[in-house]
Amino acid sequence: MTAALAHYLDVATRFQAAPEQASAPQWLKRLRADALAHFERQGLPTTRDEAWKYSRLGSIAEGTFIPRTGVSRDTAHLSAVVERLGLPGPRLVFVDGRLAPELSSVAGLPRGLTLKPLRDAVREDGELLESVLGQRALANEHAFTALNAALLEEGVLLRLAPGALSEVPVQVVFLTRGDAPVLSSPRILVVAGESSEASLVETYASAGPAGSAATFTNAVTEVTLGDNASLHHYKVQVEADAALHVGALHARQGRDSRFASHAFAFGGAMARNEVHAAFAGEGGDATLNGLYVGQGAQHLDNRTALDHAVPRCTSRELYKGVLDGQSRGTFHGLIRVRQDAQHTDSRQQNRNLLLSESAQADARPQLEIFADDVKCAHGAAVGRLDAQALFYLRSRGVPQAEAERLLTYAFAREVVEAVPAGPVRANIEALLAVKLPGAAQREVTA
Amino acid sequence: MALLTVRNLHARVAGKDILKGIDLEVAPGEVHAIMGPNGSGKSTLASVLAGRDGYEVTQGEVLFDGKPLLELSPEARAAAGVFLAFQYPVEIPGVGNIHFLRTALNAQRRSKGLEELDAMDFLQLAKEKSKLVQLDAAFMNRSVNEGFSGGEKKRNEIFQMAVLEPRLAILDETDSGLDIDALRTVAGGVNALRSPERGMVLITHYQRLLDYIVPDKVHVIAAGRIVRSGGRELALELEEKGYGWLGLDGGKKTTAEARR
Ligand SMILES: Nc1ncnc2c1ncn2[C@@H]1O[C@H](COP(=O)(O)OP(=O)(O)OP(=O)(O)O)[C@@H](O)[C@H]1O
Ligand SMILES: [Mg+2]
Repeated sequence: MTAALAHYLDVATRFQAAPEQASAPQWLKRLRADALAHFERQGLPTTRDEAWKYSRLGSIAEGTFIPRTGVSRDTAHLSAVVERLGLPGPRLVFVDGRLAPELSSVAGLPRGLTLKPLRDAVREDGELLESVLGQRALANEHAFTALNAALLEEGVLLRLAPGALSEVPVQVVFLTRGDAPVLSSPRILVVAGESSEASLVETYASAGPAGSAATFTNAVTEVTLGDNASLHHYKVQVEADAALHVGALHARQGRDSRFASHAFAFGGAMARNEVHAAFAGEGGDATLNGLYVGQGAQHLDNRTALDHAVPRCTSRELYKGVLDGQSRGTFHGLIRVRQDAQHTDSRQQNRNLLLSESAQADARPQLEIFADDVKCAHGAAVGRLDAQALFYLRSRGVPQAEAERLLTYAFAREVVEAVPAGPVRANIEALLAVKLPGAAQREVTA
Repeated sequence: MALLTVRNLHARVAGKDILKGIDLEVAPGEVHAIMGPNGSGKSTLASVLAGRDGYEVTQGEVLFDGKPLLELSPEARAAAGVFLAFQYPVEIPGVGNIHFLRTALNAQRRSKGLEELDAMDFLQLAKEKSKLVQLDAAFMNRSVNEGFSGGEKKRNEIFQMAVLEPRLAILDETDSGLDIDALRTVAGGVNALRSPERGMVLITHYQRLLDYIVPDKVHVIAAGRIVRSGGRELALELEEKGYGWLGLDGGKKTTAEARR
């Protein structure tokens, strides 16, 4: 056993044995204990694992991260950070993995929506939780999901009553302060009733000064969409340079449901983002989009998996990477079309723009098709800025650096523009402008 | 003083000598036409003047306004007043036409110490200039040249020229691929920009263009050299007889007529 594995086992064992957990419901204790066993059996992934071939764990594998216990918070500073990052509207905010009630508000939540901390849901919605928790994200298949479940305590339940419609996006914001090597293990649950519609924004950011300590966020999101339900899910990861991030989203889609995942990975030394969508009923539609922008030594790792288990579902994927410095971006997209899944229509695209000699991109489409009457297309490309376009811009007087930024932004904006117009998109545009300075001046139309 | 002076210019591309001693002098207010067979080096000359990468100047010099031009970056040449209308304008998905042009104009203004135009003032200017080539406002909101027809791309080049107001405009086959109405429109736009301060170099295969834009001088390039210069009547003569009578390398029997 590696020292790192021993460390995380020790952390989880202590957590489960802590006196304040004695009153936890039996089903939860059981779930945590099982997860711990699964974690121990699997161990931390290595590059020998197929799913982690191009990944690197960085200092996650050094095993120094521990959950935050004591709480003392600089509310004024943190609320300024939330204001800067967030959107108006209902939100729950977590700091170092702990709910920060003073920064949270569920005022203005539309009728039919419930947004509550997971701690409350454990007490109040035990039956529901028992039926969904750990059912989409399987601890026996993913080591980090197992670790998250072994430490399961904080997080969110978003519940949509059948037919509930929300125009305002619901937000969950996770801040890390970087004053200590903190391990956060949030769990986000979305249960969307039949024909409900909502948007959820998960934002991960750092609140500490530049040069803060590394933190490790290991997040798991489980989405259950009822028949004809629709969810726009946004993940905005803008953590500090030193942050480590592993996130996995698992969605199960009912008949005729629509799920759109928009994943933006701008921050972190190592950030892995997984999105898994499985069709459980016919007529479902999944859109998995992603934009990863790396600089310096960032390692941005993206994995998607689509499970076409039933007929007549549609999926569209567009992942784009912009990689500068020595950064590395990976995309591994699995599309599985099972034998019964006739009339599947699936398209996957991954395109990468390298801005430096030493930046690197790996694209790995993986199609497993067992049905015969299907449409499946995929494409992957790694390229550089177009020299012709660059010269064209410069020949009109645009300085080289500005021309490069214009073209870079033009490449990236396709993913941003797939976000429906509104405050969420504006917010992402602003964050992209910070990441790619000078490029994102808004256009005025004639 | 001449606006543009090209002296004994030799240039190579990909290890191949293309320009083999070009001499050309354009004074302010003059319009020069350059004709010549395919592959003779016309676009190469234009590219060298605009500063495209990959061209190695092995001999000679170019002065713009009496100052060495070749040492400047493409953007510095643009700011100094050199404009190239591309034979093949580039499509740039994701970069808005109007945003691009404002960025370009403001960069040029900055380098001259002028105040930048804000979005509203620029839009006003763009609208006014677009009338010159009858470019619909809808094109301004699209990505640069993306999905434009051949003729629309050429109009867009002249529209950009009208906005940027260069001192030397090099138009590389701006007339190719235009129908007769579009040709008239584009030529009208070019004529409107003729001025005593501005020099123009028109690269073309067709005398037809020169019916609309009457040049002061006509040059013929063949195999990297200017082999004949004259007045407008030279173009008419070429139209009639092709390049053969100039005694160019025997094998090439290409004529302006044959290309139609
Ligand atoms: N990047 C390059 N690599 C190799 N050869 C080149 C390159 N660019 C131009 N050439 C060659 O240089 C010669 C001159 O080309 P150029 O484009 O200047 O001709 P042109 O006179 O403009 O012809 P046209 O009338 O067809 O436009 C041609 O033989 C062409 O193949
Ligand atoms: Mg040419």
